[in-house]
Amino acid sequence: MLFSLRELVQWLGFATFELFLHLLALLVFSMLVALRADMFTPMLSWWLVFVPLFAADGLSTYFTAIVSIRLYQENEKRLAMLRLLWVLTVLSLKLVCEVLLCKKLAEQEQARDLWFGLIISPLFILLCISCQKCMSAELQKWEMKSQKNDEQ
Amino acid sequence: MSLAQRVLLTWVFTLVFLIMLVLKLDGKVKWNWFLIFLPIWVFDGILILMLAIKMVGRCKPGYDPRNGSPELRLRAWYLTAMLLKLCFCLTLCAKLEKLADVKLSFVCIPLWTMLLGALVELGLNIFPERREA
Repeated sequence: MLFSLRELVQWLGFATFELFLHLLALLVFSMLVALRADMFTPMLSWWLVFVPLFAADGLSTYFTAIVSIRLYQENEKRLAMLRLLWVLTVLSLKLVCEVLLCKKLAEQEQARDLWFGLIISPLFILLCISCQKCMSAELQKWEMKSQKNDEQ
Repeated sequence: MSLAQRVLLTWVFTLVFLIMLVLKLDGKVKWNWFLIFLPIWVFDGILILMLAIKMVGRCKPGYDPRNGSPELRLRAWYLTAMLLKLCFCLTLCAKLEKLADVKLSFVCIPLWTMLLGALVELGLNIFPERREA
């Protein structure tokens, strides 16, 4: 659409399979939210509704760990560490936001002090660092291009 | 548009939407839900316009459709996905404003259709050799 899949992978730092996993988790999560909202089923607690998102985060961490170990074994130590750090940062920020939102929804009376600005704040940080990452990569590319032009 | 420009565009609209959403959810403002979703409407409008212009460019006289048929199909899917997303946001706003008494499951149908389509598209990209077979 606005971004090709290649650009999206480059920007977010996730593999296509991981994007597939998170999208699938979002689909199941939205179905569970609709089920809970329409059926008023008390059996379905908010923690249970959020399970697909937590599972996707867990599976994504496992996948990243395996990829990083393999990269490390292939002597791509810097790339392995960078990928591991980036994905863990993104996933932990996402997880914090999910846990806070779930807590707010599950314990509405006890969690009154938990305002939505605080819940969404990990997403603000995520948005800023991902934008900064993409911008610096683009700037690097542009500098390399201008250097080549100067040499010619 | 370069990647940096597109990322910046997405970043600005998402940031404004999130700020407005937080203000509304925390009860700091009493704005209409349709107004809260304004960054989404503008962003989607820009995307649909860009897609429509590109698709119309393919339909000009003298253009051989066999050259770009898969790409045109992909753009048609993107346009459908955008319209489904717009439909979901509109019905969600109507439900939140209590303009329509519909169940959330019905509101979510366009979103689920869009997500299923995106999953199929991603799945086909994960296994490209099977697509060719």
